[in-house]
Amino acid sequence: MLLIRLLTFLACLGASPAFAERAALSAALCAPSVAAKAEALRALAEAGALGGAAEAAWAQTLVVAVEARSFRCATGGAFIGEGDAALDAATLAPSPAPIDAAEMPINNRIRAAAASAAAALTLFTDVDPAARVEATTTLERRREALSLSILDAALAVETDASVLALLKPLRARMMLVDLAPENRIRAIEAIAADATLRNRTMISEALATEPDATVQAAGAAAMERIDRLIVIGKGLSTLYSGLSYASVLLLAALGLAIIFGLMGVINLAQGEFIMIGAYAAWFVQNAVRAVMPGLIDWYLIIALPMSFLAAALVGVVMEALVLRRLYDRPLMTLLATWAVSLLLINLVRVTIGTQNLEFHQPFYVVGGIHVVGDFIVTLNRLFAIAIAGLAFVGVVLVLRYTTFGLNMRAVAQNRAMAGAAGIDARRTDRMAIALGSGLAGLAGVALAPLYNVNPNMGTGFIVDSFMVVVLGGVGSLLGAVIASFGIGQINVIIEPLYGAVAAKVVVLLLVIAFIQRRPEGLFAPKGRR
Amino acid sequence: MTKGLTRRGLLRTAGASLLGVGAASFPMPGLIRSARAADTVKLGCLFSSSGAMANVEGRLTSVVRMAAEELNAGGGVMGSMIEVVGTDPASDWPLYAQLGRQLIEQDQVAALFGCWTSVSRKSVLPVVEQSDALLYYPLHFEGEENSKNVVYLNSPPSSSVLPAVEYLMGPDGGEAKRFFMLGSDYVWPRTINQQLKGYWASKGIPETDWREEYVPVGHSNFQTLINQIREFADQPGGQPVVILTVVGNSIPDFFREFANQGISALDVPVLGLDALEADFEGLDTAALAGHLNCWAYLQSAAGPGNDKFKAAWAKHVADTGVPYRGDVAIDPMVSVYDGVHLWALAAEKAGSFAVPEVRAASPSVSFACPSGYEVSMMADSTYVKRGVFIGSLNETQGFDTLWQSEGTPDPVAFSPYMQG
Repeated sequence: MLLIRLLTFLACLGASPAFAERAALSAALCAPSVAAKAEALRALAEAGALGGAAEAAWAQTLVVAVEARSFRCATGGAFIGEGDAALDAATLAPSPAPIDAAEMPINNRIRAAAASAAAALTLFTDVDPAARVEATTTLERRREALSLSILDAALAVETDASVLALLKPLRARMMLVDLAPENRIRAIEAIAADATLRNRTMISEALATEPDATVQAAGAAAMERIDRLIVIGKGLSTLYSGLSYASVLLLAALGLAIIFGLMGVINLAQGEFIMIGAYAAWFVQNAVRAVMPGLIDWYLIIALPMSFLAAALVGVVMEALVLRRLYDRPLMTLLATWAVSLLLINLVRVTIGTQNLEFHQPFYVVGGIHVVGDFIVTLNRLFAIAIAGLAFVGVVLVLRYTTFGLNMRAVAQNRAMAGAAGIDARRTDRMAIALGSGLAGLAGVALAPLYNVNPNMGTGFIVDSFMVVVLGGVGSLLGAVIASFGIGQINVIIEPLYGAVAAKVVVLLLVIAFIQRRPEGLFAPKGRR
Repeated sequence: MTKGLTRRGLLRTAGASLLGVGAASFPMPGLIRSARAADTVKLGCLFSSSGAMANVEGRLTSVVRMAAEELNAGGGVMGSMIEVVGTDPASDWPLYAQLGRQLIEQDQVAALFGCWTSVSRKSVLPVVEQSDALLYYPLHFEGEENSKNVVYLNSPPSSSVLPAVEYLMGPDGGEAKRFFMLGSDYVWPRTINQQLKGYWASKGIPETDWREEYVPVGHSNFQTLINQIREFADQPGGQPVVILTVVGNSIPDFFREFANQGISALDVPVLGLDALEADFEGLDTAALAGHLNCWAYLQSAAGPGNDKFKAAWAKHVADTGVPYRGDVAIDPMVSVYDGVHLWALAAEKAGSFAVPEVRAASPSVSFACPSGYEVSMMADSTYVKRGVFIGSLNETQGFDTLWQSEGTPDPVAFSPYMQG
């Protein structure tokens, strides 16, 4: 066995002159300390970058193996993969790993160095310019394994304009510690082009030891520019947080406003209708995955009508079995709908379970878009804002321009008179309940990428949505919109100043004070109450 | 519509829903048959299967049942079969005390297994002390308490949080210099952070290098807080970390927003002190890889004991159809499993189910914990000595073992870093 190993060793040595260097580079990854491992990854990236295409491909294989945790260290050398299927790390030839081969443990430092090395090597190994663009963006943040010589080598072989457009400023930024002051100024300018607090810190730390006055001046000017953009970003960020919180409140409150406004029924099960909408979206997801796996990214859109219908159906059933018998006793409807809410929670608990449901996160609800300063538009919240906007516009259109909407407004203003005019008030009630609970179902879909979906998810929304409805004025949709915006903005403005606990208290106190001065809410309902 | 019809309608609905609630929350037989039969011994569970803690806490009752079945299959404890009485305190802290009293007085349970949050333990504490009962508490917690009526199955900060923070401050952990503490607003996070501040002060770290924020329990909108964290992290002064002590459903909400705002664990690692494998069940962890936690057990712990435990849990889930994932094992599950076995061993040793005898026999027994460590209770306190693991979140919703202790360090009940 030993003899065979020795022979393969010699054979490889003959085949590849770079073998000794490769063996040393891969063995260095097995160094005991984390710092030495990170340094070995840096050396590996540099050797790959400067050694030509074959060397870069080999180095990339090793780095990928480290990231995938298939890199093994043993007394006889380094290996990729396990047991008989293992490859020698230096030659990539099949070579059974010895018994003592242990997985190379990775922590955040090694993860960072490996991510950086992989991105650097991608510049030399990937034929797809898009992949090289992505690698360059990774290198902006992950410079652990990056050096000027690697960048220069990359610039020498790069032909694609889109990659070059990113590589050149990256190289300029790397010159922050260059000997020539004009290079340092150029570096500052390049860094300041992306106005984030992180970059400002980078510049301010460099200026702390800067001897040259012109560089100091350029740095100060750049920081001032960044500061302005950061302030704008901060303002936008607060606005967006408030808007997103408002959209959640509005989604939860819209259906409630319709049911409460039209019939005076206090529906405590409204939160559970949201939960049912979210669960319906989950079933849609599973169905789409089983039947049309290609459309899995669009299940949230497919779920919109389904969840609306599912929640509307539950609402109509509740109306037929419970509410219909209690129309003249609002306090009883309060109790009965509360019972329905408990029933629904527990029904879901015993049939599906208490655990948070797993949702596939399609690309349009993952991550965010960096806008200005440190302001990031998170897509899952944008999705909720869009659905809230669409739901609101939809409801307004239905109320304004359909016969059903006309009937609903008539019944809400004067039930007896509407009946006398030939409107079937009971039927209108049923339709309104269906619309109101269907809207809660829509909210369930919109909130699924934002919150945990479990049987208890609805209980958190009911208090907030009542607050919105009461503050906005019973039955007023515009009032609900303005109230949710107000509560949302006040919350996010107070939160950073006095903490999230205080924000909740302050908002509640403000609502109480407002209701005392104006019990009918922002917009007083017209008609008989 | 007549009045009678209305009342009947209401009664029917109310009755139906109450029945639904009752059937889901309480196993009725346990409440009705309260006397202890000659050949059975009862163990009571106080774990919420509804409310903010349900997602993680609910499964512990099933683990107690599983451990009891194991013991029963081996002939029970001293010939007595174990009967497990479950309850649902609904994440409502005072309800823990009420149901605990009910279990002790009405059901006459031999021992209680229960509580996740410290505030629920504090609520049960007077009840168990008053009636000299035993509560086995499976969570790592803030310490600063040593009641002879509570067996602390998991670690105080000295043997969980501090080793993890030390790791983060060391060269391998990235030499953390600045700390953002974010917690749910109750006793556990506040006490932990108090101790951490004392610890950092003793290391000469200036007060300007840490920040402390709290959110209400069950808080779900972390947008502004994560903006604050980013702002804190991007300022000069060295490597920032987040010490996260939010609990329950706030944990997945926090991490979802953290990932969506594009902050990587490689830039700002989060040490989630209550973060468990189960909290990431619904999340894509590829964007979260590298965040840390510290517990006395990780699912990735190597060894035959752990393989056996995981197989037993998977089988239990498959057999009973409980709505939990059979392939996820978390520290409190193992802790409560250890607890049932430690109680059984102590009762066997004492030859009695009476609390004083069981307590007296407890320090002299030990159990091979699935984590791979042999665990036993201290002689001079009711703390159980456990091993320490630091875990690193991987791409498949699990935690890899980043570091683990040599043996089982002695827990320190009262922290020297506690100030004021």
